[in-house]
Amino acid sequence: MISVTPTALADSPNKIDLSNLSPEQIALNINNLNLYYGEKQALQNISMAIPKGQVTAFIGPSGCGKSTLLRCINRMNDLVDICRISGEINLHGENIYGKHVDVAELRRKVGMVFQRPNPFPKSIYENVVYGLRIKGENNRRVLDEAVETALKSAALWNEVKDRLHDSALGLSGGQQQRLVIARAIAIQPEVLLLDEPTSALDPISTLTIEELINDLKEQFTVVIVTHNMQQAARVSDQTAFMYMGDLIEYSDTNTLFTTPTKKKTEDYITGRYG
Amino acid sequence: MMKNSNKEQSNMKKWFRSGSPWIWLSAGGVSISLISVLGLLWLIASKGLSYFWPAEIHEFKSIDQYGKHTTVIGEIYDRELIPVAQLAHTSIKLDPALETVERLLIKTGNRELVSLDFRWILVPQIQSQSTPEDVVVIERRTNGNFYGYIESVVLDGKVVEKSKLSELLARVDEFQEEIEGLQTTDIGAINYQLERLRLKGRKYKLDNELTADIEQQLANETNALKAEYQILENNLMALRKEVARDQLIVRAMDGQKVTISFEHILKVTYNNQLGFFEKFTTFLSQIAGFLVDDPREANTEGGVFPAIFGTVLMVLLMTVIVSPFGVIAAIYLHEYAGKNALTKLLRIAVINLAGVPSIVYGVFGLGFFVYMVGGSLDQLFYAETLPSPTFGTPGVMWSAITLAILTLPVVIVSTEEGLSRIPSAMRHGSLALGATKVETLWRIILPIASPAIMTGIILAIARAAGEVAPLMLVGVVKMAPNLPLDGNFPFLHLDRKFMHLGFHIYDVGFQSPNVEAARPLVYATALLLVMIIISLNMTAVSIRNRLREKYRMLEH
Repeated sequence: MISVTPTALADSPNKIDLSNLSPEQIALNINNLNLYYGEKQALQNISMAIPKGQVTAFIGPSGCGKSTLLRCINRMNDLVDICRISGEINLHGENIYGKHVDVAELRRKVGMVFQRPNPFPKSIYENVVYGLRIKGENNRRVLDEAVETALKSAALWNEVKDRLHDSALGLSGGQQQRLVIARAIAIQPEVLLLDEPTSALDPISTLTIEELINDLKEQFTVVIVTHNMQQAARVSDQTAFMYMGDLIEYSDTNTLFTTPTKKKTEDYITGRYG
Repeated sequence: MMKNSNKEQSNMKKWFRSGSPWIWLSAGGVSISLISVLGLLWLIASKGLSYFWPAEIHEFKSIDQYGKHTTVIGEIYDRELIPVAQLAHTSIKLDPALETVERLLIKTGNRELVSLDFRWILVPQIQSQSTPEDVVVIERRTNGNFYGYIESVVLDGKVVEKSKLSELLARVDEFQEEIEGLQTTDIGAINYQLERLRLKGRKYKLDNELTADIEQQLANETNALKAEYQILENNLMALRKEVARDQLIVRAMDGQKVTISFEHILKVTYNNQLGFFEKFTTFLSQIAGFLVDDPREANTEGGVFPAIFGTVLMVLLMTVIVSPFGVIAAIYLHEYAGKNALTKLLRIAVINLAGVPSIVYGVFGLGFFVYMVGGSLDQLFYAETLPSPTFGTPGVMWSAITLAILTLPVVIVSTEEGLSRIPSAMRHGSLALGATKVETLWRIILPIASPAIMTGIILAIARAAGEVAPLMLVGVVKMAPNLPLDGNFPFLHLDRKFMHLGFHIYDVGFQSPNVEAARPLVYATALLLVMIIISLNMTAVSIRNRLREKYRMLEH
């Protein structure tokens, strides 16, 4: 069984009852979601509620569908031609797969950070304001302010404030990933999706990002996919364990790691496979 | 013995396995390519540049087989060994022991006295050879060079001292420049305006809007212009008279005296008196003249400025046309077209377009652009000039468009390649921030792909600048009276025909009345064409490198 610092669990202030959430507490509601890549079913009948203002982690072995599920939330799977989806994901009680949904508008509300840092080959400043410029914001003062706020929230401001107009590609991997997070939060999304955000980073950068995630949940609902169970234990309030396209178990992190109810979950977190 | 050969064999095997033979082979391949490129450049550079170097003027006294004495003055152009057997059937007597005999090709100029400006002399027939100091080379506007001795300078009918020559020449040069300016700028502009007035009148007539008022007004304007023209023409006549005032009397190699009017003289040089430094400055000024002057004497003399201008303008126009079309087509193929058999077929078709012989594009350009599109344009917008066509005839615009079609595949292919090299993380990053596909393309994808687009444009320029065959059908001429760009509104005349360096090479080398005389000019023009293509490419390459630096991607 994996060791989780008991104090961290005891101190967890956000402990809530997942099975009994009030509508105000729910950020996202996933209902009977099925996803097919051609003939192959990648997600099977997923239903879960993701609480507001908390960190929810998806864990599971490679190919279990955790990243696919995450990408459904901001419809990045639309880019895959052969992908078909049934079921619904509700944001503010509205299905994001509904007919009249503006995908660009949705993605502004649900930001995403990818596995590898992907800053644009522009200056640090232009990277952060990219989303705002797309929205049509060109007022210099507004942009300057947004850059400072976003970079401070992403714990990057002190490192880059003197070289905002240098190329973003000159930053280290960890800094780039924080820049990408700053870029995502600059447009004030409601939900932030993190797809294995530290898998390409060194341990120290990983630590910085994890601390950052802890701060971010004050402003945003965070959903994180990770293959690192310690990380899930460290940063998340809720954890969902997925296996072969099924949602096996979903409960608060403490419970999942200490007293899993399903055999598969226990096997996974004790390292029998995965 | 056996052991030894075994050992050798294994050594050989080792050598093969080490990969050294392949390294040597590829190094050899690179060396051969390098040597051929440098050899080509060296050949055209040395042959082309030697044309500008002031040659020594030799005087040969020779005696032929009939015992006749002749004097030949000129530059040594070429020397070659020929077998004696070749001369056996002539009455020339040579030492029977000789197997080969050397002969010299002498450029003797003086086209008004002898029909050929070149002649061969057999070395054994030469009695004496000297380089007299006071022999002079006179470069002229007509009839080519004159080689001989200055006898006297005639000022307004009276003989004056020879030392006055340079002063008188400078005076004539000044007048000539004035005449040139009057003819091309002032009188040209008036002619252009007169033509426009005439067309305006015709247009009114065709539209049935010609009233007596308008007619009167047009006639007034025409008369005013004609009066102006008369004044200018009088000025021109006066200048011409001034220029024709003085003469130079020179003695040719056979003792004949020739009077050359100053108006025909471009330059008088004592080649044999020049030191190295003076020769070098003459060399440079000759090159400068080659670059900025208009051609003379059916293109075999003078400069090539209109051809340089035409080549560069046409290539730039072509670039302006091909870049947006190529990029848009590539974006459609790569980003929007469905990934199906039809797209594949389309892509193969585009790639194969690059393999169509260029003359076919010329035929297409002539048939479709010039006759169909141009003919329709004329009927719609230039009805007043018909039956003489405006756009319904080959011109610089149709040339640029034809070459743009010819180079389109190159731009499409390299742009597509650039687009497919962009990591999908860039697109996803932008899309995840709420950008639409178009915004992502415009703000992220195109800037990152711009170096690849520039590569396509570079290849297109390289291809287009050297292409001649299609241009012969759609716009290039041997001699264009006007540049496509001048001071008359609308300044850029896309309907005009133009001169092109590639065609100039062909024309001078194979179509001129005096191929022998024009050969160095062919090399010089070829060198210039190569230089221009290199410099156009270098400009594009430096732009690309700057873009690359700007949008450099970290290695993922």
